[in-house]
Amino acid sequence: MHRTDRRFRTALPLALLTTGALTLTACGGGSGFDEDADTGGGGDETPAETSELTLLIGSSGDSETDAVTAAVDAWALESGIDATVTVASDLNQELSQGFAAGSPPDVFYQSTDQLAGYASNGSLWAYGSELASADDFYPSLVENFTYDGELFCAPKDFSTLALVINTDAWAAAGLTDADVPTDWDGLAAAAAALTTDTQVGLSFGPEYQRLGVFMAQAGGGLISQDGTTAIADSPENLEALTYVQQMLVDGVLAFPSAIDSGWGGEAFGSGRAAMTIEGNWIMGALRNDYPDVPFLVAELPAGPAGQGTLQFTNCWGIAADSPNQQAALELVEFLTSTEQQAGFAEAFGVMPSVLSAGDDFRTAFPDQVAFLDSAEFAIGMPTVQGASDVIGDLNGQIEGLATADLAGLLTSVQTNMQAVLDSAG
Amino acid sequence: MSAPTGATSVTTAPRTTPRGPGIRGREAAAGWLFIAPMLIILGLFLVVPVLMAAWVSVSDWTGRGSPLSSTVGFVGADNFRQLVAGGLPTQDFGTALRNNAWYVLLVVPLQTALSMFLAVMVNRRILRGRGAFRTAFYFPSVTSSVAITVLFLFLFSASGAVNKLVGYLSAEGPNWFADARGVVHIALGAVGLDQAPAALAEHGFLGLSWWAWLAGPSVAMSVFIVMAIFTTSGTFMLLFIAALQAIAGDVEEAAVMDGANGWQRFWFVTLPMLRPTLFTVVTLGLIGCWQVFDQIYTGTQGGPAKTTLTPAYLSYTASFESHQWGRGAAIAFVLFAIIVTMTILQRIVLRERTSVPRRKRFVREDRP
Amino acid sequence: MTTTSQRTEAGAAQDRRNLRADRSAGRQRTATIAAYTVLVVLALIYIYPFLITVATSFKSDAEAVSSPLGLVPQTWTTAAYERLLLRSDFPLWFQNSAIVTLCVTTGRVFINSLAGYALARLQFRGRALVFAGVVAVMAVPGVVLLIPKFLVINQLGIYDSYAGMIIPLLADAAGIFIMKNFFESVPRSVEEAARIDGAGPFRTYWSVVLPMARPALITLVILSFQGSWNELSHFIVASQDPALRTLTKGVAQLASGALSQGSQYPIKLAAAAIMTIPVAVLFFVFQRRIMNVTSGAVKE
Repeated sequence: MHRTDRRFRTALPLALLTTGALTLTACGGGSGFDEDADTGGGGDETPAETSELTLLIGSSGDSETDAVTAAVDAWALESGIDATVTVASDLNQELSQGFAAGSPPDVFYQSTDQLAGYASNGSLWAYGSELASADDFYPSLVENFTYDGELFCAPKDFSTLALVINTDAWAAAGLTDADVPTDWDGLAAAAAALTTDTQVGLSFGPEYQRLGVFMAQAGGGLISQDGTTAIADSPENLEALTYVQQMLVDGVLAFPSAIDSGWGGEAFGSGRAAMTIEGNWIMGALRNDYPDVPFLVAELPAGPAGQGTLQFTNCWGIAADSPNQQAALELVEFLTSTEQQAGFAEAFGVMPSVLSAGDDFRTAFPDQVAFLDSAEFAIGMPTVQGASDVIGDLNGQIEGLATADLAGLLTSVQTNMQAVLDSAG
Repeated sequence: MSAPTGATSVTTAPRTTPRGPGIRGREAAAGWLFIAPMLIILGLFLVVPVLMAAWVSVSDWTGRGSPLSSTVGFVGADNFRQLVAGGLPTQDFGTALRNNAWYVLLVVPLQTALSMFLAVMVNRRILRGRGAFRTAFYFPSVTSSVAITVLFLFLFSASGAVNKLVGYLSAEGPNWFADARGVVHIALGAVGLDQAPAALAEHGFLGLSWWAWLAGPSVAMSVFIVMAIFTTSGTFMLLFIAALQAIAGDVEEAAVMDGANGWQRFWFVTLPMLRPTLFTVVTLGLIGCWQVFDQIYTGTQGGPAKTTLTPAYLSYTASFESHQWGRGAAIAFVLFAIIVTMTILQRIVLRERTSVPRRKRFVREDRP
Repeated sequence: MTTTSQRTEAGAAQDRRNLRADRSAGRQRTATIAAYTVLVVLALIYIYPFLITVATSFKSDAEAVSSPLGLVPQTWTTAAYERLLLRSDFPLWFQNSAIVTLCVTTGRVFINSLAGYALARLQFRGRALVFAGVVAVMAVPGVVLLIPKFLVINQLGIYDSYAGMIIPLLADAAGIFIMKNFFESVPRSVEEAARIDGAGPFRTYWSVVLPMARPALITLVILSFQGSWNELSHFIVASQDPALRTLTKGVAQLASGALSQGSQYPIKLAAAAIMTIPVAVLFFVFQRRIMNVTSGAVKE
């Protein structure tokens, strides 16, 4: 004899029915709570559509997301072509996944270190020659995005690193304007004066993207000028690392994770560090998250070989497989126009990549002039394919800089970087 | 019915079972139909991926378009060779292997021992509230690894709960997730062995010196080890409890009557009977530990200084971030091989021996 | 012998036995107390982190850093929950997780029980081979399949869709194993009776055997729910559209600083807490059943 559990017999079909209903509603597209979360149905559509553009950006915060979305919406209204902005949580991974899946976004942030990889496997459309305003861009930025002699994309903005000082802490330590450091000794002294029980004098992220300023100031670097040899194990670099290591050991410099912060900007804004070395993007964070902290931006001090700093930039990449290339080009030209770039500078503190906007920037943002002036002695990040892995490895070693064997560290970077340069030919 | 020998027809009883496929045939058809969905899904999403990965690992696919397209070339064992030939890929691979090996070495024995201990404690007949204790110990196992990682990131932060506790003992806790020093190195440093002896520092394997191999798990990795034990001991405790309850009560009584004390009873009677469960627990532990990915993805992304890098995570980053899809697939296969080998090895070590060694039999006491 | 001396001897022997019994009873008691203490301490260690999670989610950022061990916030604040529930995509993540989990659980119940029944009770050629294949598949570690599954999902065109997130999770070898084991324990007489009544294989399965499989099915539901609710790596490779993000992916991004800075713990812990509630509820409701599963209690 068999038991028929009536409740159970009706439960299962009911469950199936509910599931089916849910799946149908689900397949109709998830209900986005943010207007920029919808990129139009994913991989179901065939790429023959030409009425919608998709953008993928790696945002530094709400201010950047809002500014870019507003600009894109304005363009969409004007041109009649729909465009949606998606914020990536991990831009590199999502971009790579998109390309591998054959459905990349039309327009996206392209970083200097990833350019070589994507350019060499044909993922990018080299539209530099089609840009109307190509000669308005800073030459160093254009160089960063040139691969195999072709300009692949339009630089969207750039930032340099400078020294950000908490003026309240500065005054409390008895320091004046004359004490703003102009050389390494001055920086170490200022950091020592500013270090108290609850505050460390200087803090910046444990990565080449910050430490590299000292290597530039000492006359060193990672790759030679002509781009064929690695120069990581030079005595200049050793001098730079020794200087930083000394500050760590003396306790006047601390990495953000040691003082409960996620990055230099947070350490600075929360008052746990009196000075930090950061780029323009800190302006947005300071305005939104730490509006009460009075600050001053100064050019980084000069090292044994003079002044030096690092420069970061991204460009607007357009996918080679994009079916909307003309529309994408128009959008990019709009976004890199002088007015738009001024708007972005205002919103989230980046510097315009066009020379024509330079003077306006100075008048509009007098407290960020140091960033712009630093562009004169800034060096960019290495662009050769594989360099980002080497830098990632270097960054891992920098985390233990306080007790690291500096010569060994530099030797390992030299070996790795040379291998990368050799294989890039 | 016997077949007629003559030509005369003999009336036979009508057939009761129908001709054609019959019950057996319908069953076979139904059988295949029933397992069809499972076959399709397992085939598509387990078998085909393995074959595709095998192809990618011996090809030079760069991540654009289909890996089966004609533009993708065959490169033989090149991707595998990169893993052992030296240079940054080899160093990363060696580092990942070392990190994961220490993780397995510490997690598997500790979690097995702890879950067995908990099972024995909770299984005592005279204990009240066993259900509540079992619930408490099993609860971490039902939570998501993401939630637990977030929780541990908080607990072990520089000014977190654990360091507060350590502070009560008037010591200073390290910045757990940012500390890349190997635990073994710290211990050796405490007894004065600070620098690598020349022999260990000169030679190495897979891009790491032997001294680096012996560094032990880093402090950050140790937090993950504690996390693993915390979340899986409950599950294995249940397995052990089930096995313990299956051991007949009178075996225990017989041992008591023979004069064995608690420890002897456990070691010589209970433990051998738990052997199958022990094997299951160790196998599951090994398989799980070699695949640790979610926690690294959520928590440290391989840092600090690559000391929480694992082969699984390295395979992911090599493919999705460095665009070295062939190398990523190669790492995945090496990982697969490691897991299979270790499972077979530990099966050999733990296999049933047919005769109990002489020294393990216990000696009867003659009662006065 | 006089009775008195016998009695004293007997009495002395009895006294000795009583003493021994008392001593061993005493030893027994201390052993029990020791056991209780150890267990209580361990249980506290296991439970305290979760209490901290809930408590911290109601603290302010500063208090979370300054007094991480406290279970009662000095100032109760729901700022973290507000930020999470009202000003982020958290409800969307919850919805996505719910959809996927519901679909996967129902699908698994259906597919695994069909397959388990076929492997246990239906005769067809190649049955043993298929079962051996299922067992072999159980041995393949999930992480090895991460990249190749992405490639296959992409080739099939279901990348970045609910289908891509749900379908690959629908059949799992462990579930089939559980169902097969269970069906083998169902007495054949029940099926014979059904067959005599004229029921075909499907009807036998659906109306006769499946209702009897409630215990195993409930176990399957619990394990499937848990497995798909807590799944992360599959969702990483199956989709990247923020509209399809599930709780696990979303919270993982929170942890790496998407919505908050490094030390804004209350919001991260609030997310972890809410994420744990459904599985916790399921756990407490079905505690007894979960605890009695001997095989298949594998943390995925």
